[in-house]
Amino acid sequence: MLRASIEFSGADAELNGISDGAKAGDAGIQHGELLTAFADAAVQGDPAELGTARDALRDAAGSEAVVDAAAVVGNFERMVRIADGTGIPLDGIVGAMSGDFLEELGIDAYQSRRMAGSAGLAAVMGPVIRGVARVGLRFAGRRAR
Amino acid sequence: MSFAYDPGPDPVRSDLVQANQGAWAHIAAPGTWLTGEQRVAVADETRRARSCALCRERKAALSPFSVLGEHEHGGVLSAPMVDEIHRVTTDAARLTESWYRSLLEQGLAAEEYVEALGVAVQVISIDRFHHALGFPLEPLPAPVSGEPTRVRPENVVEGEAWVPMQAAKQVAAEAGLPAGQAPFVIRALSLVPAELRAWSDLSEAQYLSKDQMMRFGTVRAIDRSQIELVAGRVSALNECFY
Repeated sequence: MLRASIEFSGADAELNGISDGAKAGDAGIQHGELLTAFADAAVQGDPAELGTARDALRDAAGSEAVVDAAAVVGNFERMVRIADGTGIPLDGIVGAMSGDFLEELGIDAYQSRRMAGSAGLAAVMGPVIRGVARVGLRFAGRRAR
Repeated sequence: MSFAYDPGPDPVRSDLVQANQGAWAHIAAPGTWLTGEQRVAVADETRRARSCALCRERKAALSPFSVLGEHEHGGVLSAPMVDEIHRVTTDAARLTESWYRSLLEQGLAAEEYVEALGVAVQVISIDRFHHALGFPLEPLPAPVSGEPTRVRPENVVEGEAWVPMQAAKQVAAEAGLPAGQAPFVIRALSLVPAELRAWSDLSEAQYLSKDQMMRFGTVRAIDRSQIELVAGRVSALNECFY
């Protein structure tokens, strides 16, 4: 979904904010470094780190952004456990869209990924699907803007 | 009134307050396969898991299945359900299908597993939201008496995931999604439709509605790329592939 949203926005952003967190800087996304620092602190940090990260995000992006980011953190703490706890595989289209960066970002090495099923034919067709999706999302984004 | 947040530097949106209150009411009520008392006990167990010595030891081990022992539990739920909740809470990325099957062999029904999972992840999610904003944890609700409905949905299929799920067509139709296009993550809890609906209600406030998910416009104070960056980072920190 990050890739799709980047294509839609027409931005020239990187995906390594996911794997590298704040070390990746903003990765082409506004306040990206502050957002990943906040996510890191909310999931793994101590209260002092979390307070610092929250204050920094609020100063830069406002209190509504802090609440929205906290809600997304909460949502995905739930989503990952649903995925891991039910043994669902990647959907075909998601696997096709993400096949090229799962290995690059180290996601293929996760045990949960090894336990999941393959995207099948969609994975084989990945490069074609990614190309079509990229053009479509960029076009839709231009129209929306 | 639950979730009466003190005004602070980060005021909580009213739809989030309502969603959290709705989740607490849902947890307290008799469910599909579990009573209200059991559901609140599931919620309580997710919080116990965070300080459970056995969970800590397993988390540190090369294989979480190599460490034997007893969880620090509340004494209400069965041993397999306690193990489900503790492992889902503390080490979900290393769950395996053989572990899931072993819980069924110990007498836990798949329907009970899915319902307990649905309750546990709601508590984990709302507790993490509070933690992220520096709020104390909300006291758990008092259970509501009554019997579970014990209604199993039709069109359940096996073999696409560890747990049985409703067929994609069925879930898509009920969720208002394009014909047959229900992603696995939406179908995951569909063996217990009430948990799927609760998932949807909370997701709409915390993340986006299903309709907003398919459109990439800005509907929050952070735009879609920012939302997905946080989402992706949280998944990575949890070593989740999805």
